[in-house]
Amino acid sequence: MNRRLLILACALASPALAADQATLERGQKEEGRSCLPCHSLRLIHSQRLSKAAWNKELDKMTGWGTKIQDRDALLEYLVANFGDDKPAAPPAMSGDGSGAKKP
Amino acid sequence: MFATLLSAAAAARLARGADDAVVIPGKRPMILHNDRPEDLETPLRYFDSWVTPVDAFFVRQHIPRPAPIDPKTYRLTVDGMVAKPLQLTLDDLRKLPQFTVPATIECTGNGRAFYSPKIPGVQWGRGAIGNAEWKGPRVADVLALAGGAPSAAYLDTDGADMGLAATPDFVRSLPMKKVMHPATILALSMNGQTPDIHGFPVRLIVPGWDGTSSVKWVIRLSATAEMNRGFFMNPGYRYPKFSLPPGSPPKPAELEVIEGMPVKSCITAPEEQAKLPLGAVALRGFAWAGEQTIERVEVSTDGGSRWRDAELSSPKLPFAWRLWRLDWRPSDPGYYTILSRATDSAGRVQPFVCAWNPSGYLWNAVDRVGVTVEKAA
Repeated sequence: MNRRLLILACALASPALAADQATLERGQKEEGRSCLPCHSLRLIHSQRLSKAAWNKELDKMTGWGTKIQDRDALLEYLVANFGDDKPAAPPAMSGDGSGAKKP
Repeated sequence: MFATLLSAAAAARLARGADDAVVIPGKRPMILHNDRPEDLETPLRYFDSWVTPVDAFFVRQHIPRPAPIDPKTYRLTVDGMVAKPLQLTLDDLRKLPQFTVPATIECTGNGRAFYSPKIPGVQWGRGAIGNAEWKGPRVADVLALAGGAPSAAYLDTDGADMGLAATPDFVRSLPMKKVMHPATILALSMNGQTPDIHGFPVRLIVPGWDGTSSVKWVIRLSATAEMNRGFFMNPGYRYPKFSLPPGSPPKPAELEVIEGMPVKSCITAPEEQAKLPLGAVALRGFAWAGEQTIERVEVSTDGGSRWRDAELSSPKLPFAWRLWRLDWRPSDPGYYTILSRATDSAGRVQPFVCAWNPSGYLWNAVDRVGVTVEKAA
């Protein structure tokens, strides 16, 4: 690749990258706003789903009453971090509550 | 482009769900799928007894558990197509004849994580299952107090838990034939203890059926002519009548309510990818078959070429699992693939390939664990 082309490629790529990063950050914010009121994020982050499957989940949760404001960003964030091409989530363990007062 | 992803530290923080320490009161350390509401899986190392202790029993919550119920003010409403609608106290339930039912409860989605392509939902491995001794009055006796429900086809059971926002209420319908079965009870105790997070003070036990049938925190039994139309009866907890190619969408008209559970065995020891010293190895596990009994468990230590019968625990009961054991003495070091396969009283045999289904229910493929046997140093 010659130097001019490289510069051109960078010029084209960087705004796109910046936009993506900003979108992902908006998506993460949206996750906190629209998912966290009803359940922990662990339920989301332990899954690895295709874009189509995440999209269906957003439909389902919208039907169950959440009001997603920035849906495109949320979907992009979910696919980028928890897509079905990502490695499996590391297992998490709860602490020992066997001696604690029962609910 | 990975530069656009979260930093490693941020990803690690997210993986922890932004909670640094989650302790579930009354529970040993459990595999944590969700802490609010609680979805807890039993680690395989706890499965060393026929009765699973309450503090090790798995937990599945669709919606947050209700505020603690005061046993003194607790009321069970029995209504709908009964001759005499009524409200019962906990003492009323205690005065009825009490029956102990040993029964395995397994989450309908246990093993979902093994399906490919991936399926949305809690990514249960092997441990969303447990066996307990449930005790309480028969549902048939409770209905008799209300004058019976001779013309009803279903009994709707509602728990005290309520969905957040527009999440549907958790209501399940059970066909009257199963309702009237003498082993279908309202459990007031679990292994002689209060059921706590498992539905205190009253939970339904539907032996041999998927765990979702056994509604917790029961506050209402309603006799009805038709099956409840809520989400948790349709499309939730349904299974395709005809098998689908993996990854394809469900055909809503061809989904059926799940009733009895399939035949299944599981290897609990040694654990996946364990390293074992050359010598005697105890292979262990459990097997259950819904409303049937377990007749046989076969184990292979060579990937399925040769099979040996495992020793099975007593008693042999419908609804409750049997533990199995086989002593194995590998003659050489190396990598071994151990398989287990159960057969039940109806002649059902655990399949090598479990049919993919759109909700990831009823995983029961032949279980498989890989271990490395190492020469003693």
